[in-house]
Amino acid sequence: MSDEPKFPSTQPDAGPTAARSTLPMWIFSLTIVLLYLGAVYFDHHGGWFDARVYGPYVSAEELDSYQPKSGAAAVLAQGRKTYEMVCGICHGVDGFGKPGQFPPLAGSEWVNAKGVQRLTHIPLTGLTGPITVKGEQMNFPAGMAAMGAALSDSDLAAVLTYIRSSWGNKGGPVTADDVKNVRAEIGGHAQPMTGEEMMKMPE
Amino acid sequence: MKTGFHVFLAAFIALGASWCGFVLAPALQLGTAKQAAVLNSSDIYPVQRSGDATLGLQVYRASGCAACHTEQIQQTGVACEIELTSVGKNPAAVEKQINALFAPSPFLGVNFITNDQNIPYGGPPSIDISHLPQIILNHLEKSKADAVVGGITSAGGKAEIHIIATGTDIARSWGLRRSVAEDFLWDDPVQLGDIRVGPDLADVGARLGNADWQLLHLYTPQSVVKGSVMPPFRFLFETRKIAGAPSPDALHLPEELAPPAGFEVVPTDDAKNLAAYLLSLRADVPLYDAPFTALQASTSAPSNKK
Repeated sequence: MSDEPKFPSTQPDAGPTAARSTLPMWIFSLTIVLLYLGAVYFDHHGGWFDARVYGPYVSAEELDSYQPKSGAAAVLAQGRKTYEMVCGICHGVDGFGKPGQFPPLAGSEWVNAKGVQRLTHIPLTGLTGPITVKGEQMNFPAGMAAMGAALSDSDLAAVLTYIRSSWGNKGGPVTADDVKNVRAEIGGHAQPMTGEEMMKMPE
Repeated sequence: MKTGFHVFLAAFIALGASWCGFVLAPALQLGTAKQAAVLNSSDIYPVQRSGDATLGLQVYRASGCAACHTEQIQQTGVACEIELTSVGKNPAAVEKQINALFAPSPFLGVNFITNDQNIPYGGPPSIDISHLPQIILNHLEKSKADAVVGGITSAGGKAEIHIIATGTDIARSWGLRRSVAEDFLWDDPVQLGDIRVGPDLADVGARLGNADWQLLHLYTPQSVVKGSVMPPFRFLFETRKIAGAPSPDALHLPEELAPPAGFEVVPTDDAKNLAAYLLSLRADVPLYDAPFTALQASTSAPSNKK
């Protein structure tokens, strides 16, 4: 039996093995490092799912810092709000007033005057009797009450600044100090002024 | 099938995760979006469209406008601009402070205050302080702009920072800021578009706010925009015999396109609605999530204190 012929083996010499092997350490470390870097990047650029944060902004804090806080714009916004509540009822939110009764502010020479003396007096003392605006005679029997007397200096200054820079008007800003000075000059007992008295004042 | 449950579970997780990402998360983020306040103003944005503009959106959709036009302005950056408004009582100190900003760095011979290519490195800008207000610097980062304004203020002057949105769309004057979710609040369906054969229309109402122009452009694009590739939308118009007085809506057409004598071209309701919709596309106000400084003539009005 020892002379039995040798047949070639039917088994391959080295077949694939199905044994488990450990994950190479470098792949594991690389994954951790990449995950960490990704998290850092997301933290800095993702805006944390805040619906208000769009590119190019990367966080709500950055967006906050870019909100325009320009003084002039804020004053105009404040002035507009007060104007529409107090003045717009008669003079109109478009500043055109009502023909023959409520003088227009848009394009008015009273509003666009170089100085702010007369203009500041009007809301503080009120105005009675006929006046001429843009060449047109205006007469409202009840006159204008001192609508601005109850407003603070800065509120009234904002309103005057607003009307001097809206609807095509090109007057300069009015400061709270301007209003304060006029208020002090008028004192506590102000009678409504007439258009003639106004014209005697410096602009 | 032994693995049936696992296949189901894998498919469920894959589809469920997509649904969470594409449907649930946006709904949580923007599902409750409402009108927003306009910065530095008591206005609310966007105002509800008028009835004809709302119908016009459906004409826009039906006419396939979104195949060639987008309604989304891209913004790639934001920059600050500094406007010197007053030099106060000591103009020399303010001037010195400004010139110091442009002093070249002792090590590199350049300064890093601005990315504006128009200002030569190291060269002091020609600031004539007798003409105020004046833009003295632009293309600044916010932190640097704050530092510059701080320096000017400490020298007794006054300066304002303007926030300017930047990007190629904005450079083409397609808008003043990027499009944000609020812009589409009244759009159903939203007509974002993804191909720009024609210009972006997100702000077209502010840019070309004339209904007659829009109607004429719809009827004969090439006669108002040279080289336009837009097809004419003449099915939105009607050529009819003048009965009695000519219609006030009739188009004023150039000679070669004018209808025969006794006839006029009038827009149909669809055309008028579409024009109303186009005029209602105005993304031109600053919002919290897309801030910019709205420059009004009044903000640069010279002080006229006596």
